[in-house]
Amino acid sequence: MTRIACLLTTTELSPPGALLQVALAHSPRVEEAGAGCVYLEASGLRGLFGDEPRLAGRLRDAAAAAGLAIRVGIAASRMGALAAARLGSGVTVVEPGGDAASLAAAPLSLLALSEDLTTRLARWGLRTLGELAALPTAGLFERAGAEGVQAQRLARGEDPRPLASWRPVPAFEESVECEWGLEALEPVVERLGELAARVCSRLGARGLAADGFEWVCRLAGGGAHEGALTPAVPLTDATAVTALLRLALAVRPPHGIVEGLTLRTRPVRVAPAQESLTDPSRPSPRFLAATMNRLVALVGSDRIGAPALLDSHRPDAVGLGAYAPSRSPSPLRGEGGPILALRRLRPPAPAAVTLASGRPVAMRSSRLAGRIVAGVGPWRSSGEWWTAHPWLQDEWDVELADGTLCRLAHDGSAWHLAGIYD
Amino acid sequence: MAIPIESSPPPGWEREGIDGLLGLFPPGRLSEIVGPRSSGASSLLLALIARITTSGSGEGGGQVAFVDGMDALDPTSTAAAGADLSALLWVRCGGRLRVALSAADLLARCPGFALVVLDLDDLGPVPASAAIRLQRAVEGSDTILIVRSERHREGSPASLVLATRRLAPQWMGLRQLTRLAGLRSEVSISRSRLYSLSPLGRAPDEGSWTLDWRL
Repeated sequence: MTRIACLLTTTELSPPGALLQVALAHSPRVEEAGAGCVYLEASGLRGLFGDEPRLAGRLRDAAAAAGLAIRVGIAASRMGALAAARLGSGVTVVEPGGDAASLAAAPLSLLALSEDLTTRLARWGLRTLGELAALPTAGLFERAGAEGVQAQRLARGEDPRPLASWRPVPAFEESVECEWGLEALEPVVERLGELAARVCSRLGARGLAADGFEWVCRLAGGGAHEGALTPAVPLTDATAVTALLRLALAVRPPHGIVEGLTLRTRPVRVAPAQESLTDPSRPSPRFLAATMNRLVALVGSDRIGAPALLDSHRPDAVGLGAYAPSRSPSPLRGEGGPILALRRLRPPAPAAVTLASGRPVAMRSSRLAGRIVAGVGPWRSSGEWWTAHPWLQDEWDVELADGTLCRLAHDGSAWHLAGIYD
Repeated sequence: MAIPIESSPPPGWEREGIDGLLGLFPPGRLSEIVGPRSSGASSLLLALIARITTSGSGEGGGQVAFVDGMDALDPTSTAAAGADLSALLWVRCGGRLRVALSAADLLARCPGFALVVLDLDDLGPVPASAAIRLQRAVEGSDTILIVRSERHREGSPASLVLATRRLAPQWMGLRQLTRLAGLRSEVSISRSRLYSLSPLGRAPDEGSWTLDWRL
């Protein structure tokens, strides 16, 4: 017979992982159920901790010793234990076979239901788990589908799913103490490369990759130099990691003699991907990560990425998003075909424009100058008048005497050359 | 049964149309597109980017790196041309020629990009030494490397040089013009060293294409 205990913190600011450590100290099977809630298997613990009320009290005392105020509920199902912890008086034990009765008065909000099902049940006038449990299952399935039936089973105290055991994430960290202080950058990178090789080897043995690296250089005199880097893709290749560390340290080297080094990684599990035989190849993650880092050092991180169209009608409303080659094409695409390109001037070049009968007949700017032989406009656009930065613009498409096609813009006070058609 | 190469061009290949023109750019070589302002050179680049980023079998196409010497790329035009913006890496160089050359060199050496564009516009033609370095960087790879500038420099190692020329703007409106509808331009091959590289077994070393770009 399965017995499950639910630990629920009542303190808002509890150290992460502390509740899990309390649970793991009492049972080998523990499931994390979101912030401040942990389930543990309470079956078979009588020999160690006594009966269930005694176990619950012991759990509460252990949590208090760790600085946590918790409520404990023990029942035959997760939902029963959660209701007992949340609605009980601090330590509540539901006797075997009593889950359904104890859940009857619990509110429906105890279940994590979809918005659609929550609305539907509210429309039927249901408020408690007991009312949901009393509905005929066949009719509920016809109206609310599998989710409705699953919710009813939970409301009846039935819990077919076993606990999803939580395992502590192993720390992937390597350190080295230098017998002689390192003054130059290259020996530091060399030692970090050795640490990276060891960490990557351990990651690879567990089928993991790292999507973040942090290093600490302990300096002579008590100081420390810390840094972190995030590769474009998770890596397990020590050579690539060393290249990235070299680049990062070259940009921001430690100022002092290095006496000790520590390298930490953030492990992630990467699903293997099957490459297509017919699709075009993509840049190798290793080469791409190194190239992107060099490009960032060259042009700056705010000047490189994938172009993104912003949700605005403001002229030239574009941004830069993170560039990550993916197999799913962007849905934001035009119909295609031979489109006349506009070359933007960023920022728009101030222009002196001569008007005749309200139409531009000549223009002069730092990039272009000449007589206007044809032109259409004005195309007026405006927007965001409800914000602190409204915009208003009259645009003209004009042809200069030398054949250049360009776009002029007047923002109400001055003329600008916004772009050149090419 | 053996099928003669000349009788089975790739699907979508039209030697006379824009497809034929876009299919000319050789992988592993340096190519150039030169032409004055408003000659359709940038439009030709966008058409090529759209073709490459959508060239896959329904699950995304090739990756393109665009080194923008003058920060002039208009993503709205690019998306309108049919390009997949998520497959485009945009490097803005802010009018710095040396930075643009270095960025293009780095990207040409990163395997996996189907196309690397170095858009210099009026920053000037690529210095001869830099052009040779770019050619070496892309040699032996599957990457198409294209430099777009206003003028062609003699002595460039480019394998293909396309020259664009403005023919006439297209206006709408009868008595009074009401809208700019597009541009008619001409693209011609001003230099080709593509013998035996073309899918048809030979490269067209002469001829021109008249293209209508619509706004």
